[in-house]
Amino acid sequence: MNSDAVTVTESLSHRMVVGRKPEPSQSAAVLKEDVALLIRLRQGDERAFDELVARHHSALIRMAMGYVADREVAEEVVQDTWMAVIEGFARFEGRSSLRTWIFGIMIHKAKDRGVREKRHTTFSAFESIDDDGDETVDPSRFHQSGEWAGHWAFPPQPWDEQTPETLLASQQAVNVMNLAIKALPPTLQDVLILRDVEGVDSKEVCEILKITGTNLYVRLHRARERVRQTVEIYLEGRQCAV
Amino acid sequence: MAQEEGQATLSEIPCQEIAQWVSAYLDEHVGDERKRQIAVHLAICVGCETYVKQIATVRDVVGLLPKTVEESPDSHRLRRAFVARARPSPSGG
Ligand SMILES: [Zn+2]
Repeated sequence: MNSDAVTVTESLSHRMVVGRKPEPSQSAAVLKEDVALLIRLRQGDERAFDELVARHHSALIRMAMGYVADREVAEEVVQDTWMAVIEGFARFEGRSSLRTWIFGIMIHKAKDRGVREKRHTTFSAFESIDDDGDETVDPSRFHQSGEWAGHWAFPPQPWDEQTPETLLASQQAVNVMNLAIKALPPTLQDVLILRDVEGVDSKEVCEILKITGTNLYVRLHRARERVRQTVEIYLEGRQCAV
Repeated sequence: MAQEEGQATLSEIPCQEIAQWVSAYLDEHVGDERKRQIAVHLAICVGCETYVKQIATVRDVVGLLPKTVEESPDSHRLRRAFVARARPSPSGG
């Protein structure tokens, strides 16, 4: 059993040192963690598999739901993804992180399913992020012309006591934010879930989604701005109601 | 609602443009020159300063939202598949 583990470590660490010495970067640390998990997976450790599923399942479901028609199909897609992972991890060579590999499988499967299921509706939104123009913030909030052109006409009002903690304490605010995230088009939802919800570093997000850093920040900012708008409207509404 | 006089004229870049870069700026994903321009702007523009704070709040709060437990209804099937696939077969030696 241990000889199996040694083989895995050797093959993976060999790949890491081919060419030049790997830099002690964050991705190397992540890969180290992957190696430990892979060793356990290849030993048939069920708890390692449970850990892997627990770590990524909810993000996978949420992302899949952006591509396919409903929850049930999203669950099927993710189920298929896990089956592919089970089939494939023996051959996984560590060219990317485990996470990048797993999310890549899911996106491929989800897009495939999405094309078949709702090609007549919003599929074009997958590839085009410019479907709503270049603007991130509602242009009507800025002066349109004159000396002040491009400067705030209706600047955001400070959310005085609102911190992440106070927002989270309000079930209504939580609901409003969850709905806003759910309503995002898949291209925006993907980056927000990976970067802000899952805390994946930006380089890896680009690898998973096969996009450039510039592209990532355009999408990420649009996603955050939409959530910000929702919170703004929620807070203003609450103010009026009091 | 217009900003105080003098604020905007000091700035090299209009707020509308600053606003587009906020997420990249917060993640330190902008070049040195742009970073400087944005920092200068933020020092003199209350609207943009507030906007940056709000985007940072959103970024932080999104990561803290309670995660719905996504128990897979087929977790038993997955486990069986995993065990069948991954457990080294008791091959003779
Ligand atoms: Zn400004």
